[in-house]
Amino acid sequence: MTGEDFKIKSGLAQMLKGGVIMDVVTPEQAKIAEKSGACAVMALESIPADMRKSGKVCRMSDPKMIKDIMNSVSIPVMAKVRIGHFVEAQIIEALEVDYIDESEVLTPADWTHHIEKDKFKVPFVCGAKDLGEALRRINEGAAMIRTKGEAGTGDVSEAVKHIRRITEEIKACQQLKSEDDIAKVAEEMRVPVSLLKDVLEKGKLPVVNFAAGGVATPADAALLMQLGCDGVFVGSGIFKSSNPVRLATAVVEATTHFDNPSKLLEVSSDLGELMGGVSIESISHASNGVRLSEIGW
Amino acid sequence: MTVVIGVLALQGAFIEHVRHVEKCIVENRDFYEKKLSVMTVKDKNQLAQCDALIIPGGESTAMSLIAERTGFYDDLYAFVHNPSKVTWGTCAGLIYISQQLSNEAKLVKTLNLLKVKVKRNAFGRQAQSSTRICDFSNFIPHCNDFPATFIRAPVIEEVLDPEHVQVLYKLDGKDNGGQELIVAAKQKNNILATSFHPELAENDIRFHDWFIREFVLKNYSK
Repeated sequence: MTGEDFKIKSGLAQMLKGGVIMDVVTPEQAKIAEKSGACAVMALESIPADMRKSGKVCRMSDPKMIKDIMNSVSIPVMAKVRIGHFVEAQIIEALEVDYIDESEVLTPADWTHHIEKDKFKVPFVCGAKDLGEALRRINEGAAMIRTKGEAGTGDVSEAVKHIRRITEEIKACQQLKSEDDIAKVAEEMRVPVSLLKDVLEKGKLPVVNFAAGGVATPADAALLMQLGCDGVFVGSGIFKSSNPVRLATAVVEATTHFDNPSKLLEVSSDLGELMGGVSIESISHASNGVRLSEIGW
Repeated sequence: MTVVIGVLALQGAFIEHVRHVEKCIVENRDFYEKKLSVMTVKDKNQLAQCDALIIPGGESTAMSLIAERTGFYDDLYAFVHNPSKVTWGTCAGLIYISQQLSNEAKLVKTLNLLKVKVKRNAFGRQAQSSTRICDFSNFIPHCNDFPATFIRAPVIEEVLDPEHVQVLYKLDGKDNGGQELIVAAKQKNNILATSFHPELAENDIRFHDWFIREFVLKNYSK
């Protein structure tokens, strides 16, 4: 993997910035997403809200279904594979999907290893809940990062927590005085010192960082943009609402005009019934639930 | 007076253009005959402050729909059709300023400016994206090794007005429909289009510097 190869992978993520990537389960939904101004779609068999309820093993989607979505829109199409399942990734790469999401929303295939993403030509996006996790994924070859958040809940608080944590950890590490201290933190994070140093110098991750997991409203999208995310993934929120077209359009406009309250007021009004959702507090081991931030390492 | 370069910031890689222009201003200010500044543009008030506009890479469908829905399309149209203004479209920006699209045209209402026919995703999907080292020295002096990155890139497959549109660079070979692979062109002296991304060339501001000298400053001094 050369620097030029990586630039082509991270370059596509750069083109997605300021945009909204929407989960879709049918070509019809993909067309609605495209028409509402989505910059890409994530093709999957079932949206996270439904996957969570099912309690089943969640795997990569049927390639035929992904192919149908690829043929129905002109914008980039992403697809999810299980953490560590490099064969699912090989299959999706052969399909020529534009981006692969190695996703904690699916059931992990390997509880120790993530995919060695720099062996692939197709770019990968991965979830992260803190700086160390983001850098481990980048070190494995991820060309784009997203917050883990808590997909399928409509509760934005985990996504907020994860982006704030990454930002705060970068700031805290920038205060480190000596080379030894930086080397120690890099060792704790299990990443090369050079990668950590590069982040501290730039004050940000070296790849595009999107918000994901629990975004349900235009205001949620703008909140995460104001907290420093480069763009937004919206999953269950759109197609679980009463008026998907209107909500999708509103989230797209809120992401563009995230720092303009009068515009946000305009697009937040009269959206119909939003996703009911599940609060993060209601998901606990006691009730036999697992938070997504606990999956992936 | 300061000459203001705007970068359209509805969606896409606009910050990369801002950084490249800023770097030009810092490194080459002594060689520019006018003072320059750069700003992002999301609405008509910001656009009204600009002398030139860069339309960046991103998704042309998203950009077009956002501009149209927010009522910004007419302002953009008036700006780019004003002969005293300068416009440069890269990748999605090229699609957005062109007169005709030969495919995937349904959701994109272009600014109908550059008299060419463009094919979207001309090389295919992300798997066919690439960086090619190109010799641009026939239009940018001494620039014979520019790293041009093509990401799900469009190409100009036909020039519709050869009198006013000049092809600057085309790739060898033909596409699968037998059409040419024109990747850089200009119309008169105020409109530039590239299907690749000079803003992704790390620490390489030659293309942006040339744009500033040959388009922005020359047009302003007229």
